This record gives sequence, structure tokens and C-alpha cells, in this order.
Amino acid sequence: MEAPSEPTAPAAGEVISKNALKRELKNKQREEERKRKEEEKAKKAAEMQSKKAATGEDEDMDPTQYHENRLKYLVAQKADGRNPYPHKFFTSMTINEYIEKYKGLSDGEHLEDVSVSLAGRIMNKRSSGGKLWFYDLHGSGYKLQVMADASKSDLDEAEFSKFHANVKRGDIVGVTGFPGKSKKGELSIFPKTFVVLSHCLHMMPRQKSGAAADLQKNVWVPGSTRNPEIYILKDQETRYRLRHLDLMLNPEVREIFKTRSKIISYIRRFLDDLDFLEVETPMMNMIAGGAAARPFVTHHNELNMRLFMRIAPELYLKELVVGGLDRVYEIGKQFRNEGIDLTHNPEFTTCEFYMAYKDYNDLMEITEQMLSGMAKELTKGSYKIKYHANGIDKDPIEIDFTPPFRRIDMIEELEKMAGLSIPKDLSSEEANQYLKDACLKHDIKCPPPETTARLLDKLVGHFLEETCVNPTFIINHPEIMSPLAKWHRSKPGLTERFELFVNKHELCNAYTELNDPVVQRQRFAEQLKDRQSGDDEAMALDETFCTALEYGLPPTGGWGMGIDRLTMLLTDSQNIKEVLLFPAMKPQD
Amino acid sequence: MEAVKLWSLTSQPLKHFFHLARSSTSTSTSYVFRRTPRRLVLRCCSSTATSKNVDQGTTRVAGRNRRSSSSSSSTSDRDAIRAIRLKKVEELRSKGLDPYAYKWDRTHSANQLQEIYINLGNGEEANSENDHVCIAGRIVARRAFGKLAFLTLRDDSGTIQLYCDKERLIGDQFEQLKAIVDIGDILGASGSIKRTEKGELSVCVHSFAILTKSLLPLPDKYHGLTDVDKRYRQRYVDMIANPEVADVFRKRAKIVSEIRRTMDSLGFVEVETPVLQGAAGGAEARPFITYHNSLERDLYLRIATELHLKRMLVGGFEKVYEIGRIFRNEGISPRHNPEFTSIEIYEAYSDYQSMMNMAEEIVTRCALAIHGKLTIDYQGVEICLERPWRRETMHNLVKEAAGIDFNELGNDLGVAKEVTLSTLGKNLEKKDKASIEGCQSIGHLLNEVFEIVVEPQLIQPTFVLDYPIEVSPLAKPHRRSAGLTERFELFICGRELANAFSELTDPIDQRGRLEDQIKQHEKKKAAAMSTNLDKEGMENEDDLYEVTLDDDFLTALEYGMPPASGLGIGIDRLVMLLTDSPSIRDVIAFPVLKLQR
Repeated sequence: MEAPSEPTAPAAGEVISKNALKRELKNKQREEERKRKEEEKAKKAAEMQSKKAATGEDEDMDPTQYHENRLKYLVAQKADGRNPYPHKFFTSMTINEYIEKYKGLSDGEHLEDVSVSLAGRIMNKRSSGGKLWFYDLHGSGYKLQVMADASKSDLDEAEFSKFHANVKRGDIVGVTGFPGKSKKGELSIFPKTFVVLSHCLHMMPRQKSGAAADLQKNVWVPGSTRNPEIYILKDQETRYRLRHLDLMLNPEVREIFKTRSKIISYIRRFLDDLDFLEVETPMMNMIAGGAAARPFVTHHNELNMRLFMRIAPELYLKELVVGGLDRVYEIGKQFRNEGIDLTHNPEFTTCEFYMAYKDYNDLMEITEQMLSGMAKELTKGSYKIKYHANGIDKDPIEIDFTPPFRRIDMIEELEKMAGLSIPKDLSSEEANQYLKDACLKHDIKCPPPETTARLLDKLVGHFLEETCVNPTFIINHPEIMSPLAKWHRSKPGLTERFELFVNKHELCNAYTELNDPVVQRQRFAEQLKDRQSGDDEAMALDETFCTALEYGLPPTGGWGMGIDRLTMLLTDSQNIKEVLLFPAMKPQD
Repeated sequence: MEAVKLWSLTSQPLKHFFHLARSSTSTSTSYVFRRTPRRLVLRCCSSTATSKNVDQGTTRVAGRNRRSSSSSSSTSDRDAIRAIRLKKVEELRSKGLDPYAYKWDRTHSANQLQEIYINLGNGEEANSENDHVCIAGRIVARRAFGKLAFLTLRDDSGTIQLYCDKERLIGDQFEQLKAIVDIGDILGASGSIKRTEKGELSVCVHSFAILTKSLLPLPDKYHGLTDVDKRYRQRYVDMIANPEVADVFRKRAKIVSEIRRTMDSLGFVEVETPVLQGAAGGAEARPFITYHNSLERDLYLRIATELHLKRMLVGGFEKVYEIGRIFRNEGISPRHNPEFTSIEIYEAYSDYQSMMNMAEEIVTRCALAIHGKLTIDYQGVEICLERPWRRETMHNLVKEAAGIDFNELGNDLGVAKEVTLSTLGKNLEKKDKASIEGCQSIGHLLNEVFEIVVEPQLIQPTFVLDYPIEVSPLAKPHRRSAGLTERFELFICGRELANAFSELTDPIDQRGRLEDQIKQHEKKKAAAMSTNLDKEGMENEDDLYEVTLDDDFLTALEYGMPPASGLGIGIDRLVMLLTDSPSIRDVIAFPVLKLQR
């Protein structure tokens, strides 16, 4: 501090002691110092205050209070005659396109005569004084820095500060400005105008800066592993119920659903190239046929008719082949009124195709081509994918889709693996007893009814499916397990059927279609027996379908695949809810 | 199928039909929601017109009974034929031949052969090694003379003749052909190529195999056609008897695939949202209800995909679409099936103006894919799809067609109704009058007049713009005109084909509007209940269902949805238009039908 200037008072002639003078002066100085400090403190506090408001540090606030404040803000805007939800904002390019176009700028370079309009969601906000604001703008899976500088804005300084104090994390904004790079080399947009297009009325969970920075660098690709444990929004319940929040905060989630879409379009393209026709068959039927499962029941009011949601499109698709459409497929929802768990949702998506004049051998080749081709395309060049089969805390396993896939003969292999010698006539009482004993011996539980088909299924699950980590066809199922499959041309009692297992789970099911109407009716009759013995998952007879067979179904190979399960494999998802945008959830409270 | 006939005629009968339809909407003020064409005419088959249908129904039933009595003799014929053919099956088996073969390797389709050998002259044969072909398909006709037999084989692509000469067939196959092969059987044949003297391209058969022995006779083409009910119930018989039926489904696939290609080329992502929902929102329609055992709760089948797709926009997807099945628990008619297919498209940072371009783009691309041109014929009326299509506000269209200027009418509902009734007076049917009188607001009234007077006249493609806010609970208020929304519907052939708006993004406004909607619905429901008590009939049963608020959707909006627009197109109706099909049942492979008696 500089010494004060020569004292002017007291007036000349008056004698004041030098000491007193000195004292007074010192007091004055102290007083000034105190005042100055106080002022500074107040100023700082004010600064802090505005900074706090600005950076959204009102987020320490109680979420309900925050929400109410936002609502009040909107009411105030409307009262001022302003529309807080503008109708349209013209974007001249996407954030991705912007990054592509301007990433080559050198550090500190600005293109002030270029004007670009971008829009997206604010996921981060920082300020440096009231005159400079940094935002992270997110859109379509990309991120860009917005550097709002009062001196570059069309607003005056006061307006500028006030405006930006009210921009919140989570808001959707549109900016028009010029491209440039900061001195540190970060590509940014420097806006002249800045509008809020839609408001986030809830407090957005905070983003870890690390995760945000990773957005562009570590883009997840199908076939590689994921770890939802390190997501910004981790809580599964919240992620599945508020999928929009999950998508906003966890960039990988978006990639899962893009992958799902790519899987389906790959299948479409694959089948279209083989001259298949995509068709739509009813989701509501008088009889729920084509599979064995408990259906959803609904009621048509005006027709006063009970209807079932379909459990499989199979019978209708075969009717179309009878009608002369030689190659048809349908990708669509099926519905099963069953429990919800890690691999089951009440509605799920399948692809079924039917191909006249082909048999199950042809279909195995087609399956290999389709799946290996898909793995290669999605992973960008590899047949192998990584999957956390044993939980996220264990090392992932590798699943290899290189064709051809392993093929194992069901009964033969089961006898070999389990040391059994199953009676040849599987419909006999003897066979049933033999399998009951086998289950008992190996401590394999089969909840009643203990039909031969169910016992076999349990044994196969235990001994064979467990070995099917890489894609494996289990082939030639017994007739009693496969009421719609054609009897095997050379192995009595068996059918020409295969199931493809990957990571121990069934992915595809296919067979040479049973097209002998007499035999088909017999098979339905046998199913009825199982139904009467308490297996409510045995198939019901569909008279229209049987009549269709009497008009002649050409030799046909039929094939079905679960799209959700395939998507789970390719996105390293252990829960089906990860691959469904809006999975069925238990009601809250 | 009266409506079908009416459809094919010009605007005057259309209008008449429309009145017929309108006359039955009774007091229900038709709330018009997206995305799929309105339920309006549907009600013509549900409420009042039901009595009418009953009459028609009884005559129809009588007709069917008559037919079935005549066909009861044919049923015994059928049984006889079936028995004979089952014997043939046994005969084949006894000879070690499989009546149900496992596979057949085809080298060509019928159509491929017709193209490859287009220049083969009459009477010429192509007999080199390359000309040895294998084909397969259903036998649809046959003629046999002594040592020669001519069979017509049809496959997915078309037909070709099988020229069967006893001398050329191996072993005793000619005898087998005559004794065992019936029309309807599926055959595989191999041989060389020959064009007969009469100019018929043929496969000169060296050997054949019965791939599938048919047990039932194919229906006679002409009889098969007349039994409308059977056509839909046994679509495969319809397709065998009338190959052009299959063409509709081929075109349908092509249209859907063209739509997908268009969307994909514009960078849209296809998603799947749930069919089973806790609350059925996004439209006003009676939903199907089902019960989930393990969750122990009722679930609704979706009546629109709108609300979930908007949640995707909130989640940061900027361009999404879904092509999928929608379910509405309402009557069946030539334009309505309880399940139908729609596409809904949502794009962030766009508005309804840009969606008009999108609608034009999609429809014209599909028309070109099917017809190769933009002037098409629908039930005898020429429709011109050249862009741009007419764009006109609902106000102007009503003014032009009805002579009522709603801009001048003011806000007094009573006065407005009076003016409307006196202007339209003499042309109005009783029911129309009632529905005009029943309007709860100016917006409803405007919409009502539009539906009565204008809609049936919109034959050439027309975008109708700026709907009243009262009938558009999910659309954004118009940026310039108070009381209106930024919404359009696309009409072609007097029929709503698409519905779109700048989406309402304000969560507070949205909640208010949905709550109003529920209040209005409850009012209607209460009214319907009381009328039912009075009359004991269930005339207004249409309104007796619950409407629930989708809170998850409203919460999502509170997280901020970007300004966006959405478009819904009814795919079945688009396919009807582009395949010149009068009924929705012609474009749905297995339509829902009344229970068979």
C-alpha cells in the first residue's frame, strides 16, 4: 500500500501533535482497509453466487425444489410472452458432420466468417467469470465444446450473463456461430446466438468428466465386451424404467440399439438376396399354434370373440407356402404369458423363414452363412466375439462363429455322454421309465408332468447343451419332441430337426417341415394326450392348418431364430432387458 | 360389401357413402388422433349401422347356407376324392416312392425359363447339356392324349408347360403320370426345353417326381372367387385359385421394403417399442386388454407407437421410425381390421412443413416402385401423385366447400352452430345434424364440418393443414394462429392416409391436454352409460372403456424433448391405394373374420 499523500488538514497555524496526527491517519487507513476488504468480500460472494447459479450449482438443491424452480422459471417465461418451446431450429449440420469438417483446424484457429447452426443437449457446463461459458453439447452419440463468449455474442454483457445463468445441464439448445479451436486444441463452436429449445426440468445426474471425454475415443463395437457397472447411471431399475435417461447418460446403450437395428437389417438383406418375400401374419388368433407355450388371452368386443396373442407365426407362414409363395419370412413379435427373467420377456422378436424344396441340411448351411457373415460384418472383420458368460467380474469367453459349426446327433450323443442306452421306441412306457430313472440317477430334476419329451429335454439340457459354447447344431430330435417336424428319412423315431446352441442357449430351431397331413393329425393327437396328462404346453390342433396341408405343402425347410438372444450375444448382454428398449417391468409400489 | 361398390364410384356416391358412415357416428365427436387413419367410418359398422348390417347379414347368411347346401354335395365329393387320393398315397409308398419328398434341387424358375428361351422358335428344341433343367411347382392343369400329356406347372414366378411324351419318359413314369398325378400335386420335373408348334414353351420331361401328393381338389377358379368368406378364411386356396392374389402380397412386401430403404437412406434408425403396455396412449381408441399371469396385472395392446417413440427422441435418437402392428378393439369393415400396420417417423429439429415433404417422398417412391409412374388408377379414378401436392388449411377448405368462414364466426359456439346448420341445412342427414349439435367447441365444430363436407371430396392428394387444438392433443400450438395446431393430414381418395404434426414438447401443456382428454372421455362414457340404462341397448358401447394417463411419457417430456415433428402412415391403406384394392382384407393375408356359424 502506498503512503497517503501529504495531509492537507489541519489548517496552517493550528498545532496538532505529530503523534495525534499519525494516529488519526493510521485509523483512517485501517478503516479504509476494512471497508475495502468488506467490499471485496461482498463482491466475491456476489460473484460466487452468480457463478453458482450459473454453473448449475443449485444442483446441491433438493431435487423437488430444483424441479419446482424450473417450473417457476417456465411460468415466468410464458408470463413474459416468451415461448420456452420454440417450434423449429434450423440445423445446418449434425455434430458429427461438424467434427469431421473442422477437426483439421490448427490450435487457436478461428473461422470467424463461417456460420454454422448446431443443436443438441447440454451435458456439462462451466464458466469463467460471467463472460465466458463452456458447454458440452451432445447429439447423436457425439460431443462438441461450445465456447460462449460475451464479446462474440449478439447480446450485451448483462443480458448474456443473465441468459447463460439460466441455461441448465440437460437443456436442449441450438447455437449459431463459427468454428474454431481453443489454444489447447479443443474443437469448439463460438456462438453468436444461443437459444434454449427445450428444458430439462429435472436434475441431471452428474457426468464423470472422464466418461464424457471417452465418448469419442472408445467407441464400443459389437462383439467386444461392455461393463454396465462403470456406467454413469448404474441402477438397473432406473435404467430400464427411464430408458431416455439411460440413453442420455450412458453413450454405449445407444450403440446396443443401433446394433440391434443392424442385426435385423442384416437378416433382411440376407433373406432378400435369396429372393425371400417378407410378409405379415396375424398376431391375434383364434388358436395359439405353432409352438408350445401359454398364450395371452384377449377379447374382441364387437365380434364377441376370444382371441389369443400369437406364440409363433409358423402355421400361417406354412399356409402361405401352400398358397404358392415359395420363400417367405416374417420378423416380428411373439407373445408368451410366462415369467420374466434374465432371458425371458413376455414379448420378444423372432425371425422365421420357410423355403420350399429345401431340407434341414440346406438350412444348416444357410444358418452358418448368415451368422458367420453377420458376425464378420458387425465386428468389422472377425468371426469371434467376446462375451461375459460367467458374470461381469470374470474374464469374458470367446465365441467363434467360424463356419462350419459343430453338429451333434441328439440321442447318440446323449447316450454317449451319459452312458445310457435309451429304448428305441420312445413312445413306450418302458422308455419313459428308463428316462425317469436316468434323471434320478444323475440328480436331474424334472417338474411334473414327467412326459418322455420333457425328461429328454432335461437330460439334453444337462449333458449336451452345456457343451455348446461355440455355435453347435444339436440334430435329429425324437418325433415326440417335435410335432411339426418331418420324420427322419433314415432314422426311425427321429425327425429332421436341428437346434442351434450358442453359449449353451438355444438360438435357432429348424426342421424339414412335416407336410403329410395324415401324420400331422396323428402328431396333434399325441400332443393332446400330453395335454391331458397335464402338460399345458403341448400343442393344440389347428384345423385350418391341417386342411391347408391336404392341399399340398411342397417339401419345405422352416427356420426360426430369437433376435433378442442373438442381440444379447453380440452386445455382451447377460440380461434380455439390456437389448429391449422398454422391457416389461414389475409394477412399481 | 356395399361400401366396396360405393368406393369405386365417383365423388357423388362417395359423398353418399360418407353420409351413410357419418350417420352412424352418432353423438361421438370423433377425436382425431394419429397415427392411423381415423376410426370414423369404422363406427358405421359398429353402432347404428349394426342393425342395417344385421339385415344384410341375414341375407348373406342365407346366401351362404344356400351355397353350403349346394357345396354339401361337393363336400361328399371332396371326401370321395380325398379317399381316392389317400389310396394313391399308399400306392406310392408300396412302390417305394415317397409321396412327401424331402427336397428338390431346382435349376430354374418358370419365369426364368420363359425369359431365357424367349427367342426359341415354334417347334424348336434346345437339347444341349446346358438346356437340361429342373423345375418344381404345382400342377394346375392337365390334358392327356394317348402317348402325350400336357401339364401346366405353376411356381412362385409363373407357369410353364410340361410336355410329357411316353417315349421320352424313363421307365413306366408315363403310366404313373396318368394313374397317380392329379391337379393340385406338387411335382418336380427335369428335362430339356422345347417350344411346341403352337408356341407354348415347355419342359420336355425326361423324369419327374411327385414331391407332395395333394389330397383335396383345387377349387374351380370361378367358384373359388365367389365365396368371399372362404377366400379370406383359407387364403392359401384363394392364392392357388387366383395367382393375382399373391401379387398383392408381393407388392405389399415391395412397398414396405421401399419405405425402409427410403428411411434408411435418410439416416433413420428402426426401433421396436412394446406392444404390451401398462397404459394405451398416443391415440383415442378402444384398446384390447389382456392379463399377464406372473405380473398379475392387466396389460393393454398398443393403439399407437407414438409415445414410446417420442421417448426415444428424449433419449437422444434424432431420427427414428417403427414399422409395426397396431391393435384397436373396434369393428371390422372394408377399411378396418383390428390389427393393422403403421409406420411412425420422428425427426428432431424438424417441423410439420418438412414432414409434408417426407410424406410426398415416401408415397411417390412407393408408387414408382410398384407402377413405374405417378399417375395411377384407383377403382376407376385416376389419381395423380406428381409433386408438389395441394396444401390447404382446414379453414380454407371448409370455406371453399361449405361456404362457412370460421374466421368470421367468432367465439360463440351457439351462434356458430346456428350458422353452420342454416348454411348446410338442407343437405344434412339427421345424424350429421345431431353430431353438429353435439360439438363441444368451435374446434370440434370446424372438424365436424370438415369431415362431413370436405373429406369425401379430397380425391387427389391433399395436405389438410392446421387442425383445431381441441382435436389434436399431441400437436404443438400453431406458431401464428391461436386455437390451431401445426398439424396436417394427407387425404387421397377421400381417405386419410397420413397424419403428422410439429410435436408438442411442453410437458405442462401436454399434461393439461391429456387430462382434458380423459375428462372429456369420462363425460362421454358417463353419457353413454346413462343412454344405455335408458335404452337397454348398448348403442354407445364404443365409449365404454378406460383411458389412462401415461405418466412415464409425461416424465420423459420433463427431461426435455427437442423440437421435432412426427409422421404416421397407414401401411395397409397405402397398399390398398397402390394395388387398387377396394378392401383392407385384400391386402392383409389373414384378416380377422366373424366367427363361422
